[in-house]
Amino acid sequence: MAGISIQNVYKNYGALNVLKEFSLEIADGEFVVLVGPSGCGKSTMLKILAGLEPASGGKILIGDTDVTDLAPGDRDIAMVFQNYALYPHLTVGQNIGFGLKMRGTPKAEIDKRVREVAKILAVDHLLDRRPKALSGGQRQRVALGRAIVREPRAFLMDEPLSNLDAKLRVHTRAEISALHKRIGVTTVYVTHDQIEAMTMADRVVIMRDGVIQQIADPDTLFARPANLFVAGFIGSPGMNFLRARVEGGRLTLFGQTFDAPAGRGDGEVIVGIRPEHLALGQGNVTFTVKPTLVESLGSEKYVYFEPGEHAHSAASRDEERGKGLIARIAHAGPIREGEELLLSFDPSEIHLFDAKTERAMN
Amino acid sequence: MERTRFQSFALYAGLAVVCGILLFPIYWLFVTALSTLAEIRQLPPSFWPAEPQWSTFTKVASERPILLWLWNSTLAAIGSVGLSMVVSVFAGYSLSRFSLRGGRSLGLFILTAKMLPATLLVIPLFGIFRSIGLLGSLWSLVLAHATLIIPFTTWMLKGYFDTIPRELEQAAMVDGCSPLGAMFRVVLPVATPGLAATALYAFVLSWADYAYARTFLTNAQGSWTANLGITTMKGEYVTDWNEISAAAVFIALPILLIYLFLERYLVGGLTAGAEK
Repeated sequence: MAGISIQNVYKNYGALNVLKEFSLEIADGEFVVLVGPSGCGKSTMLKILAGLEPASGGKILIGDTDVTDLAPGDRDIAMVFQNYALYPHLTVGQNIGFGLKMRGTPKAEIDKRVREVAKILAVDHLLDRRPKALSGGQRQRVALGRAIVREPRAFLMDEPLSNLDAKLRVHTRAEISALHKRIGVTTVYVTHDQIEAMTMADRVVIMRDGVIQQIADPDTLFARPANLFVAGFIGSPGMNFLRARVEGGRLTLFGQTFDAPAGRGDGEVIVGIRPEHLALGQGNVTFTVKPTLVESLGSEKYVYFEPGEHAHSAASRDEERGKGLIARIAHAGPIREGEELLLSFDPSEIHLFDAKTERAMN
Repeated sequence: MERTRFQSFALYAGLAVVCGILLFPIYWLFVTALSTLAEIRQLPPSFWPAEPQWSTFTKVASERPILLWLWNSTLAAIGSVGLSMVVSVFAGYSLSRFSLRGGRSLGLFILTAKMLPATLLVIPLFGIFRSIGLLGSLWSLVLAHATLIIPFTTWMLKGYFDTIPRELEQAAMVDGCSPLGAMFRVVLPVATPGLAATALYAFVLSWADYAYARTFLTNAQGSWTANLGITTMKGEYVTDWNEISAAAVFIALPILLIYLFLERYLVGGLTAGAEK
């Protein structure tokens, strides 16, 4: 096992700069998730880390070894691919043992370790089958087995759950987390799914257009997003954004004026309110809305409403929401569309972003 | 969606017609080989001889050097298939996997070479082989066939390699293979159906050649291939069509056997299970 140091790595395809000065220190045994929308450079970074793509510049160390120019096989890493990439002409046992065979491990040792790993992943009864005779979940386990059998210094995982159905994904997600806790190998995991990132990671790296937006643990990301993009990316449903002005240290929202969070100068801001921070009934700042749509999920309701003439919504991650806002109300009674409803929020829970730079102000 | 009885009937009837059209020449070849000369010439023709002349086959086998011709054809085909496959595996793989500068133009250039008729190359090749002393040698045929086959097989294999996910090689490289090792240990075994189909196609191209053999080997009887040899069975005044047909059956047999042998490799779907 070893830590990973990525120092100022960048990648150009001709004039196109897909990865910009990426630097990250990953501690030994840490589980780091790279997350971001499609095309943000997360998979490119993982491939550079694996040695499957050359970096245009920068340096990568695994432990104390500079691996920047080493071939993938010489980096002592293992990788789980999005599509599993099992060798279709080999049996499950041969697939798992392939890496050991390539490293000249004696056959008896390969057999022993393959059986051990297969037992851990509950695929020991499938060792003689070929990949085409396996279910999606079983293939996923074999791909994991192929990675862990070598006891590498680091695991790289490229969206390994994206091809599983929703139920199996949740199950396998928990299994991978448990496996990481058990074997404690440094892991870099790439996903576009913020829920995977938040549930699995020790630290999350949020990327956009080849640039790191924020590196933090999941709770910090949620509570103190560095900018509008992170605030909108993390959380489901996404954060509500409203344009507003701070004047004389006071902020006006939904027709209500209240003290802006401390230290804010006057000017235009974007206010972020998480849907779960909007409560039903009276509170510190209370306002009336007419729900345009109510979705019930059983234990909670998503209440959609227009911001009203006193507030103008800003960017939102959930583009399908249009300009509407959303409140996530737990254990609510009946709520009817078109009927007036009292909502409230605590000003200490709102987020302020600079309207020009979109950086967090509090 | 389940087929209705009429749709099934139409489907099988259509297949039967297509098979009939494709198989009739082979059937007619066989019937001609088993018929007497009188039966061959009679009108209307008979669709099955009154007394099948099996002796025609033994006569051809004993009186003509058919085995030598077949052996020469086999050597030429194996040589040209071997040479073509080695070149086109690497060429097809490179075209499939690497974005080379001018790679696309190179690929199209190979494609253009495919369009040249074999007869166009006969004269320049004749000149080259005469100057390097290969006329009359089976090597001339191997090289000439390779020039015909390689453009075809390169594009066939490129197409097949395109269907193999790159992640397989990447996984192999992470597992410790060199790029070449990943190709030999993972890509080529997975590409077996494509390789088999391409090799069979190449074999048939070489086996079926007449123009090159006629041009390069006419004066070397010991090197005659089956197609060249069979044309010498046509007499100036009398032609024993039954004997020629029997010889043609002998020539067709190896292709049939090779097809039967390779058939299991020709079935696609080996990559099933590699991915989701």
